Amino acid sequence: MTFRTRLLWVVTLAVVASVGLVEWLAAGTTRDAFERVEAQRVNALVAQFQREFARRGEEVVRAVQAIAASEAALNIALASDYAPFYNEAPALASANGLDLLELVADDGSIISSAEWPARFGYKEDWLANTSDWKARGAFLRREELADGYTLAMASVGEALAGDRRVYVAGGQKLDREFLSTLVLPEGMRVLLYLNSAGAFSPAELIGPAGPEAQPALLMPLIDDVRRNPREINQTVGSGSSAEIFHARPLLGLNNELLGVLLVGSSRRDLVQMETSLRNIGMVLGAGGILVGIALSWWATARVTRPVRILAESAKKVAAGNWDTTVEAGPEDEIGQLARAFNRMTQELVAQRERLVQAERVAAWRELARRLAHELKNPLFPLQITVENMQRARAQAPEQFDEVFREGTGTLLAELANLKQIIGRFSDFSKMPAPQKRTLQLNELVADAMKFFEPQFAQAHIAAKTDLDPNLPAISADPEQIARVLRNLVLNAIDAMPQGGALLVKTAARNGGIRIEVADTGQGLTPEECDRLFTPYYTTKTHGTGLGLAIVQSVISDHQGRIWVESQPGKGTAFRIDLG
Amino acid sequence: MRHHSRCAVTFALVLSAALVLAQAATRPHYGGTLRVEVEASIETADPPQTGPGMADLSGAFSVTRWEGGRVAVYSANDDAPGGRPFLDSVEIQMGRPLREQAIDLELKKADIVELGPSEARRGQVSRRMLASSPVRLLVLVFSERISDARIREALALAVDRSAIHNVLLQRQGEIAGALLPQWISGCAFLFPTAADLGRARGLAAALPQQSRALTLSFDAPGFRPIAERIALNARDAGLAVSVSQRNAGADVRLVEERIADAQPSRALANLAAALGLPQPARGETPEELYSAERALLEGSRAIPLFHLPDVYGVNPRVKGGPGITPLGQWRFSDLWLDTVRP
Repeated sequence: MTFRTRLLWVVTLAVVASVGLVEWLAAGTTRDAFERVEAQRVNALVAQFQREFARRGEEVVRAVQAIAASEAALNIALASDYAPFYNEAPALASANGLDLLELVADDGSIISSAEWPARFGYKEDWLANTSDWKARGAFLRREELADGYTLAMASVGEALAGDRRVYVAGGQKLDREFLSTLVLPEGMRVLLYLNSAGAFSPAELIGPAGPEAQPALLMPLIDDVRRNPREINQTVGSGSSAEIFHARPLLGLNNELLGVLLVGSSRRDLVQMETSLRNIGMVLGAGGILVGIALSWWATARVTRPVRILAESAKKVAAGNWDTTVEAGPEDEIGQLARAFNRMTQELVAQRERLVQAERVAAWRELARRLAHELKNPLFPLQITVENMQRARAQAPEQFDEVFREGTGTLLAELANLKQIIGRFSDFSKMPAPQKRTLQLNELVADAMKFFEPQFAQAHIAAKTDLDPNLPAISADPEQIARVLRNLVLNAIDAMPQGGALLVKTAARNGGIRIEVADTGQGLTPEECDRLFTPYYTTKTHGTGLGLAIVQSVISDHQGRIWVESQPGKGTAFRIDLG
Repeated sequence: MRHHSRCAVTFALVLSAALVLAQAATRPHYGGTLRVEVEASIETADPPQTGPGMADLSGAFSVTRWEGGRVAVYSANDDAPGGRPFLDSVEIQMGRPLREQAIDLELKKADIVELGPSEARRGQVSRRMLASSPVRLLVLVFSERISDARIREALALAVDRSAIHNVLLQRQGEIAGALLPQWISGCAFLFPTAADLGRARGLAAALPQQSRALTLSFDAPGFRPIAERIALNARDAGLAVSVSQRNAGADVRLVEERIADAQPSRALANLAAALGLPQPARGETPEELYSAERALLEGSRAIPLFHLPDVYGVNPRVKGGPGITPLGQWRFSDLWLDTVRP
């Protein structure tokens, strides 16, 4: 991954995170604000509903008091026999807009009942429990009917005629019809749960249109109020169908829980508004992110261009173009870096030239030392032989011929030796360009091993090969590669004067090949390893020190690589990668 | 002396004038149409030939117009046995609700109307009324399907006849424990009528839960309050009674049967036949009659509740009488109208 890509990623992630954070904060703040407004709206609506509820209670009180003050009620109170009035309540209830009405004698016996006419004569003892019904106002009551029971908003009045009294207990049912007559704002609805002993009963949860369609959603809220009667606000449902319900316990005269009134306010508008804002926010966020990415692309390109140029220049330097320079640009960090880079390459070039000169001098000195060393050895016998011949002519002429014959022989031999030394130096200086052709390396290895078999036997060396049968063919000069192999094997034999083991191994590697020549000789120190391929450097008492230099030169000409791994006392391994 | 004589003469003249006026007021008038309204609606093509009411008008009157279910006009027979009726005709409007009848009577659009219990009680003070003896039996009759006598007895013991009689029937008629009324059999008082809610609860509690539910049917809309009160009484005893009108498949029916014969044995036999009870043994003596009636009521297959009279409100212009027999048969030939309307 390039620096620019990484930088682009970082900037992009930063932009996305920033936009996301801003979006989240904006959405959260907006949502909180809307929730507060919605809560205020719900509270206002609930308060409005409660006023409506209270108003209906006042209507019931007025109607009941009107009946209690009516002449009809007074006549009943005055009557000695209530039987003729058993059918009075339905007409009075209807005329005063009440669903429920009972005319009850002072002893608690029902004179007439609108809601259950057949109950005349039955007792309503609870009426005697309160002394001042007029001050009591409206209250909630569970009223038993012929076909079940109902919750009623009730009130009690008293028709007094001297010491005779008739209770007027009237009310309106809190049922589906009652709910449907309540004036409710848009988006609001009211439900009523008629409480009874035992578990939650879905059939007892009704609304203006009848039984609630999804009572299970409200069961937890209702059960909560049933366990601990109090007013609760709770959101029910999810998404656009969610509603905020205000649950209000409906308590009777003795604070018993008669029912639960649920005033629901739809969150549809709020959810739609929030959804709309979220969508707008997402669109803006996505746009911001895209713009941010585009700007990041442009900015990273602008920022990384000098760095990229520096990197490319560094690659050129690494490839050997040490005189590469970059445009310095302005006086910022990148400009300073470019100038430093240019100074560095200039220094490198200067150092390389100095190093080349030094190496050249060193090489000449080493060549001179090696030449002197190599030539000094044959010259000393030559000098001795010539001095022997001069001394024999002067001191013993009778033996001169014999001395002359032996001396000339020695001279010729040493001259041949000198000639061989000069020939080897000449060979090194005249390394030809490789004549490449396709070849099977395993065959060359086998030939080389066969060539040295007598030496292996003489030096007590156990030679082995481990040749990869799947070794691919390579393009190389067979003569030069064979020379490399022979040099390495010869070195190994020299490294094991007391005998040992030699392993020559080939293996396919990444489309190319690897050759390994390992011995169990005395090994090399790290310093020796570093200088091993230097021309004219040798660890042996004989030799020119050109063998491994020639090997490295051949491998280099084949675009390969050679290196050595060695541990003193354990052996040395030369490895070559080709292809 | 002369003064005393003159006073005596004046007194005699005033007295004679008063007697003449009194004779003129009580003298029957001929002519006029008696307008009668009834709740019943006889839909037949021909007028009824038997039973009280319109069939009893035959003899003194004959049908001159018959529109089944709406109106019937009877005209006086000049050669009727016992002489021509005072009235020229009797016009009977059928299918008139009791409330409208009461209004028509109040507005003097009708001369004779039927009165419900409430109207009858209110009319006791202010109105002239015609009333028969208690001849209509209000009775609960169980379906053959209800074979467990315990549930029948539980319902019989649960019904508070007294409350119904006092309030719903406005003390009209008599509480009944027997099929025949006291005025016919003379032994109706021997049949118990008091409710025993404790015993009823005990009987109901011994019943399986599914047997405690009953359906109760009634025919006339006016009987709905009574049926609902019975259901309420039954509820107190632990029975679940649902009320409906004209339900042929009901477990119990609240029916009204008219007693058309004052002879006890025949009346009992007729009632037994009408209620689907076994025919009673013929009894001539009061003891035999009592035994026969008691046997009929054994097992509470039928639960007598009340004996009710026929009660009519009468326009003050209607004179004469009595106008109705103890069995509720009309005797309009004895009536005349005080003033004849144009």
